[in-house]
Amino acid sequence: MQTKEFKIQWGMVIDIDKCTGCGACMVGCQVENNIAPMTKKDPYNYVQALTTDRDDAANKLKTLTWMNVYELTNGETFPNHETAYLPRPCMQCGNPACVPVCPVVATEKNEEGGIVSQIYPRCIGCRYCMAACPYHARYFNWFDPLWPEGMDKGLSPSTSVRPRGVVEKCSFCHSRYLDAKDKARQDGDDPMNLADGAYNTACADICPTKAITFGDLNNPEHKVHELAKSKNSYRLLEKLGLAPQVYYMSEREWVRELGDNNNADGGGHGAPSKSHG
Amino acid sequence: MSVARRAFIQMSVGATVGILFTPTVWTALDDVSIWTQNWPWIPSLKYGEVKGVPTVSKMCESGCAVKVRTVAGEAFGTEGNMDNPLSGGGICPLCANGVQVMNSPTRIKAPMLNGKEISWDDANKLVSEKLAAAGSKVAVISGDQTGTVNEVFSGLLASQGSDAFYSMPSDMQAADKAWTGLMGGSGQIGYDMENADVVLLAGADALESWGPTVANMKAFANNENGKFIFAGPMQTRTASVTSKWVPVPAEGMAAFTLGITYYVLQAGKSVPAADFDQFKAMVISGYTPAKVEAATGVKADAMAEIAKQLLAADNPVVVPGGSVAANGAAFALNLLLGGAMKVLPEFGKAVETAMTRSEMLKQDILKGVSADVLMVYEANPFYALPEQVKGAFTVAFDSVETETTAAADLVLPTPHAYERADDLATPYGVASATYSLGVPVSKPTLNVMNAADFVLGLADLGFENFDEVLEAKVTAVGADMDELAEGAAYVLEESADVSGVTLAASVLGKAAVPVKGTGAVALAPYTLLNVGTANQATTPNAPCTISNNQLIGDNMVVMMASATAKKLGVGVGSKVKLSGGNGDCEALVQVFEGVLPGVVAAPLGMGHTVGDEFSKGKGDNVYKILTVSSEAAAGASTWAGSTVNVAKI
Amino acid sequence: MDSKLFPEGTQRCSLGQFSIWMAFLFAVFAWGFYGAVLVLYNGIGTTGLDNYFGFGAWITFDLAVIALGAGAFFTGLLKYILKIKQLEKIINLTVIVGFCCYAGAMLVLVLDVGQPTRAWFGYWHPNVHSMLTEVIFCITCYLTVLIIEFVPLILEQKQLNKIPFIHALAHNMHVNMALFAGIGAFLSTFHQGSLGGMYGVLIGRPFAFREGFFIWPWTFFLFVLSAVGSGPVFTVLVATLMEKLTGKKLVDFKTKALMGKIAGSMLCVYLFFKILDTWAWANGYLPSVGLTFDDMFHGFIYGKWLMFSEIILCGVVPAIMLVTPSIRNRPGLLYTAAILDCIGVSLNRYIFTVQTIAFPVMPFDSWQLYYPNWVEYATSIMIIAFGFIVISLSYRYLPVFPLETKLNYQSGK
Repeated sequence: MQTKEFKIQWGMVIDIDKCTGCGACMVGCQVENNIAPMTKKDPYNYVQALTTDRDDAANKLKTLTWMNVYELTNGETFPNHETAYLPRPCMQCGNPACVPVCPVVATEKNEEGGIVSQIYPRCIGCRYCMAACPYHARYFNWFDPLWPEGMDKGLSPSTSVRPRGVVEKCSFCHSRYLDAKDKARQDGDDPMNLADGAYNTACADICPTKAITFGDLNNPEHKVHELAKSKNSYRLLEKLGLAPQVYYMSEREWVRELGDNNNADGGGHGAPSKSHG
Repeated sequence: MSVARRAFIQMSVGATVGILFTPTVWTALDDVSIWTQNWPWIPSLKYGEVKGVPTVSKMCESGCAVKVRTVAGEAFGTEGNMDNPLSGGGICPLCANGVQVMNSPTRIKAPMLNGKEISWDDANKLVSEKLAAAGSKVAVISGDQTGTVNEVFSGLLASQGSDAFYSMPSDMQAADKAWTGLMGGSGQIGYDMENADVVLLAGADALESWGPTVANMKAFANNENGKFIFAGPMQTRTASVTSKWVPVPAEGMAAFTLGITYYVLQAGKSVPAADFDQFKAMVISGYTPAKVEAATGVKADAMAEIAKQLLAADNPVVVPGGSVAANGAAFALNLLLGGAMKVLPEFGKAVETAMTRSEMLKQDILKGVSADVLMVYEANPFYALPEQVKGAFTVAFDSVETETTAAADLVLPTPHAYERADDLATPYGVASATYSLGVPVSKPTLNVMNAADFVLGLADLGFENFDEVLEAKVTAVGADMDELAEGAAYVLEESADVSGVTLAASVLGKAAVPVKGTGAVALAPYTLLNVGTANQATTPNAPCTISNNQLIGDNMVVMMASATAKKLGVGVGSKVKLSGGNGDCEALVQVFEGVLPGVVAAPLGMGHTVGDEFSKGKGDNVYKILTVSSEAAAGASTWAGSTVNVAKI
Repeated sequence: MDSKLFPEGTQRCSLGQFSIWMAFLFAVFAWGFYGAVLVLYNGIGTTGLDNYFGFGAWITFDLAVIALGAGAFFTGLLKYILKIKQLEKIINLTVIVGFCCYAGAMLVLVLDVGQPTRAWFGYWHPNVHSMLTEVIFCITCYLTVLIIEFVPLILEQKQLNKIPFIHALAHNMHVNMALFAGIGAFLSTFHQGSLGGMYGVLIGRPFAFREGFFIWPWTFFLFVLSAVGSGPVFTVLVATLMEKLTGKKLVDFKTKALMGKIAGSMLCVYLFFKILDTWAWANGYLPSVGLTFDDMFHGFIYGKWLMFSEIILCGVVPAIMLVTPSIRNRPGLLYTAAILDCIGVSLNRYIFTVQTIAFPVMPFDSWQLYYPNWVEYATSIMIIAFGFIVISLSYRYLPVFPLETKLNYQSGK
């Protein structure tokens, strides 16, 4: 698939040296996007009891964490050990692996801004896009969402609630983009030239250290434009050619090294692999 | 072609085309797909005006200044408050889930006496009777570190002739004991981490669970060129972003700080304190680098390097965490360095007869609480201090079910933070005296009452209700009520006077000696906000943020370096029993090289027996195995120096 | 009792015995059906699949049965288009096996797809770039073709065939069978290929990704070749199993050996390209994305032994056996080679489905284990029971084997 060019390219620069792994971004994302807490038992479904329990959050392979924080380690022993935390939203790839494979065009990259869409009423739940994504950014509704009694009273108006059997993923809080464009129109500004900060994702908003910077990578007036070009900036799995729109930044070389596979590289580095635990 | 074949083809083609041309097939398919997009059991959304209503949230210990997001008046989410310096736009993971906790089925729905519902009037009558009979044998435990509601409770105690006001153990308390208790200071210590150029976090997990976490993180992020160093027994989340991790055992933190002070004193720094000479002599003789290295294992070079950086800095600050002695040592070092440590004046009181904050921090809850009437306000001592707390008649004020409400005789439900007016005065650690106010965002739907209102109905403190108290407080502070209600904070830049402060020379020398328990392995308990604090269990959307280094399935995970694991004969995934304090805990082992050898790091906040499905039955309660030891010289109890025995099961 | 329904000139076991056999098959089917009901009622969370393994046992099973059911189209192509007359002895069975495999795969997909009632979106909102759209088109159309190829066999049931209209219908369908066979071969080639293409286009999954020819990655061609290299012998195995169960000879050995030769030859072609492709991928593509061949493997369950078993033990060995007449013409060895061949293809589908997505592409990610749970096993076995049921009924009442009467002088069981 050809990489589409967009005038506006929404992207992020995430400073790993500021992320403490507190998890506020993960919680904020779930609240914004109406992701139900993960509950084991369904008191209303007697048939559930005949088969496996639903999954609670201990099963990290079944949790719906559109924003997911990974813990990185430099692999050294005490006292040279170092950790780092890496928040991973959907990369909104410039050359996505997922978009060309969806059989029903439930995911597309065709809107100015370059956000890869995920249309729940269209998705048939074949999970091919999940097989395609190496970042594990896509999640499946294995069961219907279940809120504890009364907790679905206060749902966010931003994102519709998904039934079981459809794939979901981070959308860079797309409804906030629509709201920002509306506000710009009301204020007499150009909705296609939003100011830096007029449209911000929930995770970037809530982060206490402002490790996540969000904006238009193509717009020199947005902070991300310069940050993405810094010498400490890198993207995950650059070599695969997916052209992610999420950049990471770290002054620590070992953190940058973990951004891609470096076990065979033409000349080769000769260093033993610290990856694939 | 033959007639038969022609007929066959005509029939087949005709049938196919005919079926496709009827609307039946297409409308049926269309209907089917619309059904699949509108399953009736999937909740639909409410739309309307979206607003961000500022308020304060007390779910984390220091409190967050938040904006509650509402749609058509219904709260749905929480975000930070850019206009408030305590937030700067960010919030902690607990407060991020505030609305979900507010709507949780574990909310207490009405006042309960021994499990049966009673009316507020009856509750008032009952408590009044009990108070009359108890006289001065009344105690209050408060889990709120920053609210004026404490003044109301304190006023009640004063009217009963009691001074038994207890706060849950906190860094704020240890700092106050060191500063006002040992060093003769007044006011509250603050740290200007945003403008410091070198910050030594001596045991303070400032970017995760110490002090005003969000404000600390904001200061850290805004501090472009500052160098942060974290010292502690384990690489906490704070250590993942600081420039350096210095492994220091918890019980050795005071000695470590004095070891650095040795170099600072050698460089000629001094303080015009009455006992400066005594202090200098104590450090130079008793806390030489060699001696400190022998006692704590921290290399002399490491301390020398840190001292060098602190001395070269223009605006350095040492931020302590842990025992009273560690706090005292850090304050002495800060005074010598003359950097970014601040002393903040206390705001005026609203309730005349109430204690000052410093007075409220005097009692040592770890020594035990025993009273005829015990009132617990939004704290969970029956979980975190199960052995220490006893009350003949216990009244628990809280909004959700906890171990304490389950054990209490009378449970009085409070409104959730977003359903009530509340205030937040200078959380411990902020750089300037800061006052914030929160107004209710949502109307309570349950039969709840603000705890302060209930207490005001028990004793005549001169106020009809808590709103009047808050008005009086705002006046005493000197702020503007309208501005506060809109989410701005009132900030006082003044510093308090530090003349007359001593360096607690006679006490610190003895108190700083590392004291460890008798178990085989040192225990480094740590707090992660998303796992839960002593008073607030993990929230509904947080468990997926808890990693496999803390919890696997329903089993708690403890971390240790490979050297420690080898010595104990365990490996990754081994099931172990940790025995110490008042019981034991079961856990799985994880090898993590960011823990001092000889130390096992265990997460606090798990092992709840009461609560919702997200916190109940997950992991084990590490508070059970903490040992209380006495900092005799400092006149305080501490958990630092806890040790455990580890056995494979 | 139902002897009037038997095909001309044949004998069948008693209705009572047959009923017991059917009852057993239905019981197995019902167990699987129970699992299927649980999946449809509760959600796919009842299986062992998870966010790392969106594809698992069901997809492996689907791909394996589709590959093994390739005997249908390939034999059809060879008989109707290339006019290899010998194959008419077994062509009916290949159609039935094909039908069972494809219908079974569709039934599994009803469970595997999260919103099965939206499956028709593949037609209404097709994605020209997606291999899976192509698969949806082709397998649904091909199932239709298989049904069209199966129907005449049903219409030739002894009693039904006596009705003139039905006889005429069956006759007309037979006359046009070459057309359907051609369409079937075209559709089948494309979807066998597209199923391989599904993996080969995954630029995010270095284990599976391949360069290719125009829009088709090499896996496209490898999957077609492996399917035709095993489908025919799968049909042979089915026929042989039927012979063992019924105690009759149903297909002459010459036909079986011919199927073996066909499969063996295609298998040789396949293995040549497969080995070449694996070498090129390991030495060319993988280093270009910073990976080594060793990185692709982990522990026992994702070990190199699996890949070598697939290619050598279950690939090269049966290929040699099948193309060597002296080995091929010994029944025991023919069947052994056939079994190894079919296992090899199934292994290949498993490896491409599960190991592709098990390999943690991000260096700080880790290998995870996947194992199917009882719901996935039961529903897959339900499909096998379904196949047995269809084949049992077809064998009992339909003239599947033209040589049956000739090969059996006395009545069997």
